[in-house]
Amino acid sequence: MKKKLLVVMMCGVFLVSMFLGSVWAQGQVTVRWLFETDFGGGWKALIERFEKEHPNIKVEMQEGPSATNIREDMYATSFMAGESTYDMAYADLIWVPKFAAAGWIIPIGDRLTPHDIAQFLPGDIAGGMYQGKLYRIPSQSDAGMLYYRKDILEEAGFEPPITWDELVEQAQKLQNPPNLWGFVWQGNQYEGLICDYLELLWGAGGELLDVEGKVVLDQGTAAVEALQFMYDVIHTYKISPPGVTTYQEEESRHVFHNGQAVFHRNWPYVWTLAQKEDSPIKGKVGITPMVHKQGFQSAATQGGWGWVISKFSKNQEAAWEWIQFATSYESQKTLHFYNGYIPTRHALFADPDILKESPHYPDLWRVQINARTRPQHPQYAQISDILQRNIHAGITGSVKPEEAIKRAAQEIRELLGQ
Amino acid sequence: MRLKKSENCLASEVKGAVFAAPFVAEGGRRKRRFLTDQRFGYLLLLPALCLFGVVIFYPVARNVYLSFQEKSITTGMEAHFTGVKHYLKIMTGDARFRQALGNTVYFTLVSVSIEFLLGLGFALILNSSFRGRNFARASVILPWALPTAVMAMAWRWIYHDIYGVANDILLRLGILKEAVAWLGKVPLAMHAAIFSDAWKTTSFMALMLLAGLQSIPQELYAAASIDGAGSWAKFRYVTLPLLRPVIILALLFRSLQAFAVFDLIWVLTQGGPGGTTETLSVYLYSYTFRYLNLGYGSALSVTIFALSLVIIFVILLFQREEVELG
Repeated sequence: MKKKLLVVMMCGVFLVSMFLGSVWAQGQVTVRWLFETDFGGGWKALIERFEKEHPNIKVEMQEGPSATNIREDMYATSFMAGESTYDMAYADLIWVPKFAAAGWIIPIGDRLTPHDIAQFLPGDIAGGMYQGKLYRIPSQSDAGMLYYRKDILEEAGFEPPITWDELVEQAQKLQNPPNLWGFVWQGNQYEGLICDYLELLWGAGGELLDVEGKVVLDQGTAAVEALQFMYDVIHTYKISPPGVTTYQEEESRHVFHNGQAVFHRNWPYVWTLAQKEDSPIKGKVGITPMVHKQGFQSAATQGGWGWVISKFSKNQEAAWEWIQFATSYESQKTLHFYNGYIPTRHALFADPDILKESPHYPDLWRVQINARTRPQHPQYAQISDILQRNIHAGITGSVKPEEAIKRAAQEIRELLGQ
Repeated sequence: MRLKKSENCLASEVKGAVFAAPFVAEGGRRKRRFLTDQRFGYLLLLPALCLFGVVIFYPVARNVYLSFQEKSITTGMEAHFTGVKHYLKIMTGDARFRQALGNTVYFTLVSVSIEFLLGLGFALILNSSFRGRNFARASVILPWALPTAVMAMAWRWIYHDIYGVANDILLRLGILKEAVAWLGKVPLAMHAAIFSDAWKTTSFMALMLLAGLQSIPQELYAAASIDGAGSWAKFRYVTLPLLRPVIILALLFRSLQAFAVFDLIWVLTQGGPGGTTETLSVYLYSYTFRYLNLGYGSALSVTIFALSLVIIFVILLFQREEVELG
């Protein structure tokens, strides 16, 4: 008899708690996004703070693979099915046109005043635009730049190079391959190759598409010159190792990080790693904008991450609350210190706390402000692939640069129906 | 072959009868007539058929349907009927498809041939008796047990021009004068990929063939010896004919796998340099998932499917009905 009573009581408690739980949960919404592992712990700190301030919103960070293209595919699969697993996406800027054209994300620019928008770096805002509308609030910036070995240049009495010719001249004098190479960059057939190539193309006054989206790659000589330069640093001047045509970011960084290269083109994360205690190049590194052709201007390829809201989300307002919070001055500062992110707000580049710990930030700001976005076309992935194949054929010497550019331009025109 | 089939039938009939028995006992005659052994057999198949329909038949049919539609990012993911337009483009106007097809065929032919010859050699060695044979057999399977993506990542570093082991060894031995970018040169990259593939899957070939070798009765060799056959004659007239079914099966497995190779290429080169290692699967992945061109991607996958059927057909041509034991 006692046993029966106990069972009935337990059932009662269970039912009541279920009922209470559902009543309590009705007032609360959950917003979710997919991310890589939060190595620095900054996001967890932010979520905790946010949930304290907004007791009715629960924020869930799903930790997924660190390869960005795989996360892109996971988002795309979910959105293609029109389901609301992810209320928002932490999106690379090159996803924006694709997701917007597919109708998976909603424009959110009207929620901000022009004054709000002006607080962000222009390249990061531009990276969130599609057909004149803002779809993405930038959270983390990225731009390509030239790293150099301060100690080696100072010893030889060189100023950091500004033009292509200066880079080649200095590298040839300073290098001693295979122990010390002149210049390492990303030459594998992948998106990074296009980032590197566009910096050279823009730095020689060239363009891939004009403002109306017409292919202008093969007009003028800039495209061929930029490709010829890439070929020459490997095969003619021999300041880049032959294997640079297989390097992605990490392979090239290893060479620079181990003290085996004078110049290195890469993203901002290299700096943080170079300053670690056990780094062989700690305190010996400087940064400068990417070199350009004599008579033109430096350009950096804009990268970076930001927030978009899913069209299929049932909690768009809650997602917006979180996005506002996560991109605020204080939150970006937190993320900078925990995770080493480059902020997207001008003001943070002059923040006294950040300057104390990252004295290179004024230099970095000079790079960031010159950053340009890759063409914001929904078919960018395919355009980029055409470029990758032809540029890579050019730098590995299987096709002459003129021919490679001619083919690339023709194939892109065909794709876009021009 | 025929014998096996009738055995199977027999087994299922016996099983059917056993399972059907309780129904028969309870329901009497009417039920018995309704639930014949044959019907009961189909009933047992039903769950498997449903599962097959959901996970295989429906996706394939949907894929074929999509291949006649225009559905991509440029149409805002809406589908319009376009007929055989995609197929026409694949057959006539798609240079990249032709390049990928050439790469894939080359990769398949060369890698499977190498794996077959090496695998046969390994299997013959492992089949003979020597000290430490069990250890050798176990260690042969190791490369095959590794996930391809992980193994490919390791090979990527092995081929690295500055820190790679490949260059280091060859430079020390004096075979190379200066470091080579294995994955960055045009004829080299494809062969580096084939080498990595052979490293991994030769063991699979060896295991299959070893299993085949062990099923050959020793008496046949004894008989061949009495007839005065040398070791080559034994290999030629006993081993090879009896191994034929296993060889065909192994070649079929490996060819289909090699023809669909994706992970190895994706990790090693992503199709570079200049698209010379791009295989059909890499191309298909790009179109469908990266460009979000579902219509054209479906047409590509149907085409690849058809090509795979051709491979199966060609390999099965070598199969003979029965092995004559003489």
